[in-house]
Amino acid sequence: MPKQELDGVELFNLSLSIVGTVLRDGDQRVSDLAELFDVSEAAIEKAVMAVANSEDVKNCETHFYVDVEELAEGYVSLSQGMSSLSEPPSLSRRQLSSIAIGLDYLAAIPQFKADADLQALRALISESSPASATSHIPSRLTEQIETLQEAMRKELAIKCEYINQTGAKSSRTIDPLRIDFIGRRHYLRGFCRTSGELRAFRLDRIQSLTITGNSIPEKTKGLPIPEEVFGEVTEEQIVEVTASAEAAEIFWNFPVAGNTKRTGDQLHGSIRVGNLAALGRHVAKYGGMVKVIAPESARSAVRDFAQRALAGASAPGDED
Amino acid sequence: MAKQSPAERLFTLTCCLLASPVIGLSKQDLFDAVPAYRESSGGDALEKMFDRDKKALRNVGVQLEVRNNDAFEEGESARYLISRGAFVWPAEFELNPKQLGLVELAARSWNTQIFGSAARSSLTRLKSRGMVEIDRQLQHISPRLVAKHESFGPLADAISASTTVVFEYRKSDGIQSVREVEPLKLRLIEGEWVLLAREREAVKNFLLRRIVSKVRDTEALFSPPSEAVITRAEQDLVAYAASNVAVIEIVPDSEAWWHFGSEREQVELNYMDEALMAEDFMEFGADLKVISPKSLADRIRAGFEAVIASHA
Repeated sequence: MPKQELDGVELFNLSLSIVGTVLRDGDQRVSDLAELFDVSEAAIEKAVMAVANSEDVKNCETHFYVDVEELAEGYVSLSQGMSSLSEPPSLSRRQLSSIAIGLDYLAAIPQFKADADLQALRALISESSPASATSHIPSRLTEQIETLQEAMRKELAIKCEYINQTGAKSSRTIDPLRIDFIGRRHYLRGFCRTSGELRAFRLDRIQSLTITGNSIPEKTKGLPIPEEVFGEVTEEQIVEVTASAEAAEIFWNFPVAGNTKRTGDQLHGSIRVGNLAALGRHVAKYGGMVKVIAPESARSAVRDFAQRALAGASAPGDED
Repeated sequence: MAKQSPAERLFTLTCCLLASPVIGLSKQDLFDAVPAYRESSGGDALEKMFDRDKKALRNVGVQLEVRNNDAFEEGESARYLISRGAFVWPAEFELNPKQLGLVELAARSWNTQIFGSAARSSLTRLKSRGMVEIDRQLQHISPRLVAKHESFGPLADAISASTTVVFEYRKSDGIQSVREVEPLKLRLIEGEWVLLAREREAVKNFLLRRIVSKVRDTEALFSPPSEAVITRAEQDLVAYAASNVAVIEIVPDSEAWWHFGSEREQVELNYMDEALMAEDFMEFGADLKVISPKSLADRIRAGFEAVIASHA
């Protein structure tokens, strides 16, 4: 997989890190550093050249001596010139925050809840926040994740019952590839052998999960998994909506068609909806902060969902 | 010498600053010493490049100090230096392969969003602390943070710079007011981004979704409170959430039943904000009913009535 291009600041950061590594551990292969820092070998070479080309032209002082011939041979060899830089600086507040928030997020995932390494790490990185009192993690979910992890470790397909967005239950055989945790929801990303497509399945809609004896095919393991998790699209419609700033996430939960305009604290735009029955809950949950403008069928789906909810009758099926 | 790349320029600037005398270097000293500055056409473009570089250095943890003769402005007489202590890591800072794997997972959860670059650069820096092989057992898990609020970026910047911000905030009861606060920390609690900020000496929580205007950075500096003060405020929120209990009744075998992993029809849940809890419940329509508190049940009823009225 091609590595991401680094911008100037990221390359500078890499230079600092390479200097720290090489001064402490001695000469390194370019390929080993590329693997360690998860960047391309070209990025390592560029970062090393940034070190090589560092000099104080006023005082004619070279900061580091880099063996450029060795670099051409695939090795990083450098020594200090006039520079007193011997290790990279400790992390900035922003860098620490980014990792601390990520670690807090991990701590909210059932399989890491009691992880001793994570707890020690959060204490070390500091800024760790107390666990939320509102977390509600059903034991069923924890068991499901453990089963899926086991299936992925053993590279075996799973069988389950799945309630899809129309409320219909079906038996599925899935090659599990990854578990995504987005917001507060878990999704299984995998190749559904039943439908012959790569799909996202909400874990809270999976029932009767078992591991089969069937191996995940090699070609399936290499399938690229899309970033976005949107429901199964059967009869896509464009729905025009307005939302107050507090409910802006309606435009994040669906694919957006065209541009979203902001006027004062109101957002206006169109979303692509796979199934109108799914729309009712997504709009109604905001208690009037989101309004469907058109088409009328979408307005009526929302109205119907709210009326049924008020009357205490179960709503018809909904999304994936 | 060929024109320096941005990475070369930043690296040279760092080395020059580290080699500075105790009193630091003047801006002109740096403009003469760093090839990219020396070769620039000068004027505003050079000043802007220098300002960008100072910010970039600080963002990656290089603690650039500015010593001014003028207490209010960074003038021509200002001296620049890097505190040597800024490069010292805690002696006990060592990560095992599993922990490095967790840090990688935490960094990757930002994906390409704001903070993604900071998280990636932290990971690079942490890896440079030792050639430890990452535990790959975690590769099947992909947590993803979603931070799309317009206010997130300006607030993160203001937290890094310790500058106060102004925004309009609308509480769940609809009351809107202008707030000037000292932003301290961003947290994701139960899928909601929360800003911890100090307002007139009191540390408070603000939901990012209720910030209804653009965030304006006043550029007025403040001194952040101690970590203990922040931790206490966070614990207060936990205690507050623990004191809010909703009792709901769930229709067996419904979607809500599976979602909440119920084994009984009645379930108790804690919440930090009643309006947010109402949203969570309303998504399940008639699959569940709120038994208590009454205010929550009333809020849900009023919400559905508002939806019907606006879609009549």
